[in-house]
Amino acid sequence: MTVHTSEKVWVGFVAAIVVIFLAALAYAAWVVGLQVPGGDVQLVDPQKALQELKPGVREVAPGKYEVTIVARMWQWFPNNITLVNPQEVKFRFTSMDVIHGFEVVGTNVNVMVFPGYVAEITWRVPPNAKGKYLIVCNEYCGFGHQDMYAVLNIVRS
Amino acid sequence: MITQKFVVEDRVAKIALVFSYVLLLLGGLFGFLQVLSRAPGIPRLEDTNTYYMGLTLHGVALAVLWTAFFIVALAVFVITRELKVNMNGPLLLGGSVLAIVGSLMGAVAILSGQASVLYTFYPPLQATPLFFIGLAVIIIGTWLISAAIIEAIVRWRRLNPGKEIPLATYGVFATIAIWLMATPPVAFAVIAYSVPMSLASAPVDVLAWRLWFWFFGHPLVYFWLVPAVTVWYTILPRVLGTEVFSKTMAKVAFFLYIVASVPVGLHHQFVDPGVHPVYKYLHTVLTYLVAVPSFITAFNVIATLEKAGRMRGGKGLFGWITALPWGKDPVFTGITFAIILFGIAGFSGVVNASFNVNYLVHNTLWIVGHFHLTVGGGVTLTFIATSFLLVPLLFGRDYVGKKLLIAVPTLWFVGQLIFGVAYHTAGLLGAPRRTDIAASQLWQYPDLVQSLQLVAQWVPWLQLGAVGGIIFAIGGALFLLLTFATIFAGPRVQLSGGELKISPEPEKPTFFDKIGIVALIAIILIVISYSLPTIEIYSRGLSPAPPYWPTGARG
Repeated sequence: MTVHTSEKVWVGFVAAIVVIFLAALAYAAWVVGLQVPGGDVQLVDPQKALQELKPGVREVAPGKYEVTIVARMWQWFPNNITLVNPQEVKFRFTSMDVIHGFEVVGTNVNVMVFPGYVAEITWRVPPNAKGKYLIVCNEYCGFGHQDMYAVLNIVRS
Repeated sequence: MITQKFVVEDRVAKIALVFSYVLLLLGGLFGFLQVLSRAPGIPRLEDTNTYYMGLTLHGVALAVLWTAFFIVALAVFVITRELKVNMNGPLLLGGSVLAIVGSLMGAVAILSGQASVLYTFYPPLQATPLFFIGLAVIIIGTWLISAAIIEAIVRWRRLNPGKEIPLATYGVFATIAIWLMATPPVAFAVIAYSVPMSLASAPVDVLAWRLWFWFFGHPLVYFWLVPAVTVWYTILPRVLGTEVFSKTMAKVAFFLYIVASVPVGLHHQFVDPGVHPVYKYLHTVLTYLVAVPSFITAFNVIATLEKAGRMRGGKGLFGWITALPWGKDPVFTGITFAIILFGIAGFSGVVNASFNVNYLVHNTLWIVGHFHLTVGGGVTLTFIATSFLLVPLLFGRDYVGKKLLIAVPTLWFVGQLIFGVAYHTAGLLGAPRRTDIAASQLWQYPDLVQSLQLVAQWVPWLQLGAVGGIIFAIGGALFLLLTFATIFAGPRVQLSGGELKISPEPEKPTFFDKIGIVALIAIILIVISYSLPTIEIYSRGLSPAPPYWPTGARG
């Protein structure tokens, strides 16, 4: 059971990196507010998702949006979303059938969409976000998976 | 090394080894088709339904079965040659037969097109009962094999109370311990949820199911990695005529792999709804902990290489690197190339583990780049290089085309590197994984594609990925060709040379030999990290969803 000095130095170095990285992640989550989806969720019957969630885009205050999206094989409702000067978007998602994945290409919006559960995240829109973004399904959902896409349009005036 | 002492053991090892190569061939073939299909502008050889069927087969055959069967062969070889004890024949044989029968059931189910659910088979995607029952049979088979291995190690310890467990055997123990801790939850998910879903259309709660699946899904990667690391600690120094730089730190690494590789599964569920962020963060912390033994291993392996290089007359700060037998010894070259690929994947793995940073890469091709460099690079290339030694020892035949062997790790390394860089980059640009990208209707609207952020930039990286895939597919095909030719028609050799030495000489037992306590620490960590999300999910009440076939039809 011999441990070389060089190894002790290396393990100390690795431990320091681990602690610094973990502290940075916690800071980003709980101080800056880049948080992951949480445990406080609404349950929903997949067959009644459309009636209960009423998918659509609502501007609740200037620059503040609530976007509710329902997924099914192989479509997003709605599939064309336009936001004018958005600052903060609260997304709500659920699925009517299997698991889907909602990803807005080129942003931090990337959430699993489950049947039976309503996922919620808040996206603070970067001020320079502008133009058309592709929304893809990034969880395999059957033979039409590659055709399950939509468009997010951010208009700045 | 032909010995009469281990007739049953060697037969099992040979069957497992040959079966693993068949799976590598089958899984690799579909991987080759997919890397072409995914890239717009490159001719494709399959339709979309075949793509998803093949993707399922590729994942099951390579991520789970090729690795597992090779590991069985390697573990049986190490235990018998190093401990010089017989293993429980009925357990070993029975387990192997079950594992092979289960694998064939799964393969038939997938190839019939009735189980295109990918290797994660997330409910409520429906598949034929044959697929799920096959999976359950495989798991039960592996438990019997594991029992035979653990029993042999325990029996050896009773016969040798004054000796520590030799390093390679300790690696085998770590591998099996991880497997035995990780598999009961996935067996539960299959038997309690997936089988009833396929037999009776019973609805399944997807969140609870995913909790049990990823309880298994991440330790699975350590189940492959630990045997590869065992080879780096034992066979690599042997090939170079030396011993590992630090046996103590090697055992520390194995200890940390055992205790920290299971309680980390939530890092696959960072963006799942319904789990408290604090529980997810706890799994982030533990995932960082399980990165520590890999950092320790990196240091130890490089220090071992430096020792070997200096023995060969390498001088100065870097002279030891050029003194090593690069391009001459295929075993050395293969293993070190594997270590380099794994090192790159280690960095992207830290990104994946990083809680909110994971938003940027979750379910993108970055992940595909990452795990191809781990299981396809670090692990598979190590196993390929190990085969160059193991096949002659087990079959008593010398490799055919010895001059060509060096081309195998070289092609594999270059191809993986190109593929890895291309897919990591495509993932950062947001290209989704598990998607037949080139077949999407999206490409029929070039004006739309041009107007979208980043999407047009995917194309060159997907094409570069195809180039990398073709290169390492050629390396793999060459490996399988030479290996099958050797097994069936290689020149027979009597490999004398006396005792086969794998591990450094065992000394006195240490803390690490108290394997019961080591396992207990691991189980306590699992209970702490998994009890909280389990209570949360089940106390809220489940929300089961009915099944659908990949065709879109109700299951």
